[in-house]
Amino acid sequence: MIATLAFYVFALILLVSAAMVVTARNPVHSVLFLIMAFFNAAALFLIAGAEFLAMILVIVYVGAVAVLFLFVVMMLDVNFAELREGYQRYAPVGAAVGAVLFVELLMVLGGWHFAPDAASLRLGQIPAGVSNTDALGRVLYTDYVLLFQLAGLVLLVAMIGAIVLTLRDRKTSRHQDIGRQTARSAATSLRMVTVAIGAGVAPGDILRPQPEAPLTPPEPVGGGAGHGGPHHAAEIR
Amino acid sequence: MNWTAAIPEIFLALSGLAILMLGVFVRREPTFLCSMLAVGALLLTAVLVLGGSDGAAYGGQFVVDPFSSFVKLLVLAAAALALVLSLDYNRREGLARLEYPVLMLFATLGMLVMASASNLMTLYLGLELQSLAIYVLAAFARDTLRSSEAGLKYFVLGALASGLLLYGISLVYGFTGGVGFAGMAQALADPVHASPGLIAGIVFIVAGLAFKISAVPFHMWTPDVYEGAPSPVTAFLATAPKVAAMALLLRVMVTPFGHLLGSWQLLIELVSIASMVLGALAAIGQTNIKRLMAYSSIGHMGYALIGLACGTPEGIRGVLVYLVIYVFMNAGTFACIIAMRRRGLAVEKIADLGGLGRSDPGLALAMAVFMFSMAGIPPMSGFFGKLYVFLPAVQSGLWTLAVIGVLTSVVGAYYYLRVVKVMYFDPGVEELDAPPASLSVLATGTALFTTLFFVFPGPFIGAAQAAARVLFG
Amino acid sequence: MAVGLGHYLTVGAILLVMGIFGIFLNRKNVIVILMSIELILLAVNLNFVAFSAALGDLVGQVFAMFVLTVAAAEAAIGLAIVVIYFRNRGSIEVEDVTLMKG
Repeated sequence: MIATLAFYVFALILLVSAAMVVTARNPVHSVLFLIMAFFNAAALFLIAGAEFLAMILVIVYVGAVAVLFLFVVMMLDVNFAELREGYQRYAPVGAAVGAVLFVELLMVLGGWHFAPDAASLRLGQIPAGVSNTDALGRVLYTDYVLLFQLAGLVLLVAMIGAIVLTLRDRKTSRHQDIGRQTARSAATSLRMVTVAIGAGVAPGDILRPQPEAPLTPPEPVGGGAGHGGPHHAAEIR
Repeated sequence: MNWTAAIPEIFLALSGLAILMLGVFVRREPTFLCSMLAVGALLLTAVLVLGGSDGAAYGGQFVVDPFSSFVKLLVLAAAALALVLSLDYNRREGLARLEYPVLMLFATLGMLVMASASNLMTLYLGLELQSLAIYVLAAFARDTLRSSEAGLKYFVLGALASGLLLYGISLVYGFTGGVGFAGMAQALADPVHASPGLIAGIVFIVAGLAFKISAVPFHMWTPDVYEGAPSPVTAFLATAPKVAAMALLLRVMVTPFGHLLGSWQLLIELVSIASMVLGALAAIGQTNIKRLMAYSSIGHMGYALIGLACGTPEGIRGVLVYLVIYVFMNAGTFACIIAMRRRGLAVEKIADLGGLGRSDPGLALAMAVFMFSMAGIPPMSGFFGKLYVFLPAVQSGLWTLAVIGVLTSVVGAYYYLRVVKVMYFDPGVEELDAPPASLSVLATGTALFTTLFFVFPGPFIGAAQAAARVLFG
Repeated sequence: MAVGLGHYLTVGAILLVMGIFGIFLNRKNVIVILMSIELILLAVNLNFVAFSAALGDLVGQVFAMFVLTVAAAEAAIGLAIVVIYFRNRGSIEVEDVTLMKG
């Protein structure tokens, strides 16, 4: 009884937030409603007994995907009001399509029944007496190892893809050249100059780093990248 | 567990990773080296596929049989051709980056997995590995608006198609209680049990896969993406993924859903007719040759689907033979398209081909061969491809399909021959640059294949026959 | 399972419909389209989990997990493409897909 009540509450909030995702005026609100939808879907997963997936949904979706969305929405300086042109025009068509599809799905799903031998076709019966996470862990790295590795490759492709598309090598960005940095020795960077007392240093004896044009702002964080790097090599020479 | 069945895939995945690492550590210009290594890896994988033994592995998630080997060899050949096509173009357009061959390798890996999928999960992961890599490739010329728009359109529609496909898969899983093809076939052996939910699931799955082969009514992305993506990517997009997705469609429709032929036959017939008609009519007014090729590929997929609509081993054999011919003539056509440069800049209007017959007779001859073949004029290979799908259609009593196929071929011949006319009879604006050696060799090779296919069709048809028979168990 | 399968399937169907509706409604705003696609995938996952519970079969949950993985990868690539599109065009408005552009 309580489970049913909880189901209705979470399902209602899920559907309302989903509706807000697609209709909100401000995309930032859309993302926030998306997060709410994910949380409530996680609760529905819990009611169905899929604890591990519920936690994954919260961690991966709320923690990573939704934040990624938020990041992009805020990074791009988009005039969102402009994008809503034609909104009124599309709404009736969209609603009609949606309504028809929904009625069809209800008719299809209303009398749901399983194939007569569905029970015998189950590939991985849920084992009794172990937790959901345990049960998933037992099959994921054994029976599904091939698919698990494939999923890893999918993530690798996503990583390569995101980097190759968006990483820009700016002229002003400084890179650490570890080879040059370690190959540098005192002999190449220091010169001992004997200066007569009171004579001062001759103007030609001071070597200053040539300012690059345009002058680059110092990098705030670099993990020590710049220190002792090639850019500073000439300073004490 | 018989893990060795997946050795070609494992090898390809490892070489992809190795090439990526190597490319990071090689200091100067790693792209050419990596591309060559990638071609080598594709060829070695083909050798491993040839040497593999049949059987199911990984708890029935992965299967190796003559059908999968046939498709894999074709996909590997198409990918290797597309990679060679890209070498010169990418260097000139500033796209020569190390990630290009690596992404191509992973996309090909996804296609190999699709060919071997005997489980809805394997199917989905293979399809997504392939699609994600290709979304990135389509947007690879990231500093041009056209390419990034092509990538965006392809991505949005592709992700939607994947979502619908998945919804269908979830319904089918819910009905049969299993995701393995063999078990599903057993659960669906008696069509009486088929519930509306299951049929809805099948419709969603067909819709998702129809998107991947760009069949009408899921073709909208094709012209824009073909036009916007860098030409070598378009060449890849037009060949290898089509083969893999079509193979997946064949296996899914015939193995688990084979007993429900009556439920999906009409659907496939309608998609096939719509694709043939749209491919023929919409191509007529095109002035951009890449858009022309987009509509042409929509039409070709319509013809290939005729074989699936038959639902007989002969029909499936026809589809496989059609795909072989399609891959080689398309790769050749794209070699000619990529060779179209004027004063170092790529041009892609059909009118730019004017006078090619005099300025570069070799290239013009090759292009003419491909155009005749696409139009289906004997003795070019395209004619035989159509023959092998029309005949089973007639045998299974699908007269409508065969007749519409012949009619649309006649309409299609009009625009293919128009390209030939432009090359030989229109005055040239200005000569095109001489093509680089790699493109000339590739165009010559594929043109020879297309012309001489009728001399040695035996091995291809035999292999396709064996492959088709496996599906019907 | 405490709650009937039909309830879950209905919620899934409504989510799917909303996702498709969202794509229709926000034709120009690609970011909201990507979010609508996430909703569709959420509907799929809900279906998988519900069937898994109803059948007493773990495969549905394994499948849902792979779907989650792929969906995360898809979001990353989709947003990367949106970013480069924005850099080139200065807007994220996509021209309508043309059916038969001359």
